[in-house]
This record gives sequence, C-alpha cells and structure tokens, in this order.
Amino acid sequence: MNFVEYAVENYDRLLELSLDHVAVVLVGLLIGGVIGIALGITVYQRPHLRNAVLNVCGVILTVPSLAMYALLLSLLGTIGARPVIVALVLYSLLPIVRNTVTGLSGVDAAIVESAKGVGMGRWRRLLSIEFPLAWPVVLVGVRVSAVLLVGVAALGTIIGGPGLGELIFAGLRVITSPNAVNLALLGTLGVVVIGMLLDAAFLLLSRLTTSKGVR
Amino acid sequence: MTDMIALEQLTKNYPGQARPAVDKLDLTIPEGEIVILVGPSGCGKTTTLKMINRIIEPSSGIIRLQGEDVTRADPDELRRRIGYVIQQVGLFPHQTIGRNIAAVPRLLGWSRQRIADRLDELLHLVGMDPATYLGRYPKELSGGQRQRIGVARALAADPPVMLMDEPFGALDPISRERLQNEFLRLQGQIGKTIVFVTHDIDEAIKMGDRIAILREGSTVAQYDTPETVLAAPADDFVKEFIGSGASLKGLGLARVREVSLADWPTSQISAGREAARRALDSSDHGWVLLLDEQRRPVRWVEARALQGEGSLDRVGLEVRAIVEPTATLVGALESMLGSRVGVVVVVDGSGAFLGTIDMRVIMSAVEVMRAAAHKRVLDDRRRVHAGQEPPANAIAAQ
Repeated sequence: MNFVEYAVENYDRLLELSLDHVAVVLVGLLIGGVIGIALGITVYQRPHLRNAVLNVCGVILTVPSLAMYALLLSLLGTIGARPVIVALVLYSLLPIVRNTVTGLSGVDAAIVESAKGVGMGRWRRLLSIEFPLAWPVVLVGVRVSAVLLVGVAALGTIIGGPGLGELIFAGLRVITSPNAVNLALLGTLGVVVIGMLLDAAFLLLSRLTTSKGVR
Repeated sequence: MTDMIALEQLTKNYPGQARPAVDKLDLTIPEGEIVILVGPSGCGKTTTLKMINRIIEPSSGIIRLQGEDVTRADPDELRRRIGYVIQQVGLFPHQTIGRNIAAVPRLLGWSRQRIADRLDELLHLVGMDPATYLGRYPKELSGGQRQRIGVARALAADPPVMLMDEPFGALDPISRERLQNEFLRLQGQIGKTIVFVTHDIDEAIKMGDRIAILREGSTVAQYDTPETVLAAPADDFVKEFIGSGASLKGLGLARVREVSLADWPTSQISAGREAARRALDSSDHGWVLLLDEQRRPVRWVEARALQGEGSLDRVGLEVRAIVEPTATLVGALESMLGSRVGVVVVVDGSGAFLGTIDMRVIMSAVEVMRAAAHKRVLDDRRRVHAGQEPPANAIAAQ
C-alpha cells in the first residue's frame, strides 16, 4: 500500500487526531497567552523583574520536551492531556512575554505622554492606548508560540496526551511492519500542516484585529 | 485681571543632581494671556510647564489653578481641565481623528450628540473640513494638519488653560509661520490662558502677550511684554539671549498705524505739470508723488521729468513700495529698502494716500518704543520701592 492510499484509508482517524491535536495546542496557547501577556504587562516597566522573568522563561524553553514530560509526570502524578497542557503553557511563555514587553516598551513615549495629558488613568491608558498599539507585536509572539506548541504537543503522546503523536509513536512501535513508515509520515505531515494552518490563521487574525491607522 | 495660574516656590529636584531643575519659582499667569517661557536648553522651562499639569510631579511648592491649590488634586481630573499640546503631537495612531479629538469629552462622559457637535465645531475652528477628516487616521495627515488636530484635541472640552510645549517646533518654517498666525487668530476668538514653551526668542516675541525669560534652574531673568523685553532688557543675560537685532525685532511688533506718518508733496495727475512743479518747489524734497482721481499713488516724479509739456501718466517711476496701516514697521522698512526713492507710501484700505514712512519716521518710532519701555520699568521699580502692590511682572523679575 502506498502512502496516498494509506492516507485515504485512514482519513477518519487522521482527522480526529488532528482535531485533538489542534484542541490541546489551542488550550495550552490560550492559558499561556493569558499568563504570558499578564506577566509582560506586569514586568515591562520594571527592568530587574523583566530580566528575571525573561531569563526563567528562556530556561524553560531549553528543557528538552521529553525531559519536561517526564518531570511533569512525576510532579503531577497523572498522565493524559493535563500534564501535556501544562508543558505547552510553560513552553509558550517566552515568545509571548518577550513580545508583550517589546510591544509595550515600543509604544512612542509622546503618545503615552499625551494619553496622560488628556487625563487617562494608568489602566485606561494601558487598555485603550498602549496595549492596542502593542497588539500586532504581541500577536507575533502568540503566533511563534502556536507553531512551537504544535511540535511539542506531538511528543505528548509519550505521557498519554492526545493528538497526532499517536501515529508517529505507533509507527515507531511497529518499525518493522510495512506500514510503519506510512504511519510516521502521516503523523509528521499532519503536524506540519497544522503548524502552517495555525500560522496562517494568526496572520489573518492579526490583519483583522489591527487598526487601519497602524497597519 | 485675575491670575489663572499661580506657581509658588515651585521646585523640582532630580535624584543625583546637585542643583534643582526648577528652583523656588514664583510666577503668575494672568487670565486670557499667552505667556511664553523661553530660555536656553536645560533651563528648566519644559519641566516647569509639565509641573503645571503634573506630568512631572513637583518636589515642593504650590500650583494654583483659578485660585485652587491643585498640587495634590487627582492628576487625571486636573489634566482634563488643562489642554496639553506637545511638539511630537502624540496623536493616538490607532484611532480616527474624531476619536482622538473626543478623548477628553469621552472621559468626561459627554453624550454622543454633544461630542459629535463639538467635533464639527472644533474642526471648523482649526480650519479643517469635518466630513473629510473626522474618519481619517493620523498617518494620513501632514505634519501641520496633525498639529492642528493636536490643538483641537487640547481644546475639546473647552479647558480654561492650555499648556503648549514647543508646539510648532517640529514643523518646516513655512508651516510653522502659518500655524503661528492661525493660532494667534484662533486665540483672538477663544481667549484662553496659555503657557507656551519655546527656545526660539523670535517665536516668543511673536506669540507672547508676556515673555518670561528663564535662566538655569528656571529662575526668571525678566517677565514682561515683548516690547519691554526688547527695548529694556533687564540684564546682560537677557540682552545676550535676545541676540543681535533687538531693535529690528521690536519693529516687527510695531504697526504702521501706531506711528505718525511723514507728509510728502503730492499732486494729482489731472492737475497737470504746473501744479506738480509748484508742489515740488514748495517743499525741500526731490520727488513729488502723483495721485490719481481716487488719491491713489501712481508715479514718483523728479523736477527734471516735469519740464516740458504733455500728460503725466508715464513720467517718473512707478510707485512700488506701498503698505497699509496694519503692516509691521519691519515690513515697511523692507519695502523702503527696495524703493528707489527711499520712502514707503502708506495707503488706506481703498488704496488712497495717507502719508509716507521714511528713515526718520522709523528712527523716531524706535526712540519712542525705547522711552516707553524704560518708563515702564522705572514705574514698576518706583512702585515696588514705594511699597505698593507690585504688578505681576515685577514680582517675578525680582
């Protein structure tokens, strides 16, 4: 059986696993986005804290994902989607925090001063002026994280996580069988396609949610 | 005249700096006037301005707005009562022009209809068409248009006070001059109390009802009208800051209508050569000015050209140097230097001859201005020594 025939035959399973994969990535990204943006807002005007947070996020990203899953397995004492999502949240932080900090620091000081000058308080200034102006940069961070998480989530199968990793690992387990390569290839291609689709989706989202005045 | 703003012993210390940026400044800003803070870079003029709306918090001292101590009031509410215009304009790039201008009214919770009406009114006030511009974004506007919108935004909730930090500093010379003139015309309609920072003494002289010349630590070197500052600088610092050409700058402030014009022999063209010769003979000038039926100046003629017979339409020289009473003396002087006769003809609105300005008129105008300024300074001093209530400018000049 060649690859195309194999793919057509296993279409249902491929679709189901792909949707699971996207779901787990989006949940991790959503939680990571909220935490990352909140952290970015908290630290962007505090240089020492900012450097500390960025360093910690950077260190997290250097932990190999297999090691991370093993660690979380023993820490949380459970398998399945939960430890995978925790791992995804941790991995998503650096690009999101860093771009939130960069975006907010990059807002023209004169604009911030005139927002003060018209009598906007700290929070109003942040919500209606600074964050909307930083938004395109923040969203680039989210986009980078999304693509990163698609790959990391593929390994989540090792601790019972959902998604396309199942095909890849199934292929590894039956490495001598004639369908081993087809299995692994199907999983891998699925991961790549999902990554590209998410990337495109966030690019579109950025277009749609950025004011015409700053595009 | 009441004081809109009073700064009392206002001081700003920055950590790590030996001397205060602003050192115990006392200054009062009268209602409805443009007061210019001018001085060399680093003199503390911008820090002073930004302490009035507490973008920079003072280290000590008191800020009064309309008599009320606002030094510790809620800064956001204070700023909604004070228009603020900065050199970089600082429009919100992601918001339309309409939303930018509506910033303060929205914070104050105005109704939608009231905001819409006000937006129309403001755009007309700054000479821009509401239908064209309200929906645009800042990046679609030229530098001059952006600063007009900056001014409109500052005026949106009709604040009694405007603070302007080098508002025209980033514009090219032509736009700057146009916006300065527009702004003076606008101020004629709205009569706000304005504190205006610039480092450009010429802008200060042009825009200010009063000028506070500041030296390091925001210490007032002189606080007076532009005319007085030019004609009677308080000390060498002021003199040096004004630079060369103080008399010329003073002439830029005086109008032709304020000086007594010199008379000149004139004759109507229709009266013929004989009448023109008689007019010339009865004066000690070398030229006679020929007028038409409506007494409008037409030709300059010398005695030599009056000999012989014939019509006077084409003899002599065309009259080119003509000014109206609203022109400045600098304008008149400029025209005079370009005239062969060395004389400027002054005409009224319909073009009819009023008189002339020559070098003697200019010289005596300079004399009069100088004498008036010295008299003012002396009067102020006398009043202070006599223990009377000193005028606002004298307080600050001490």
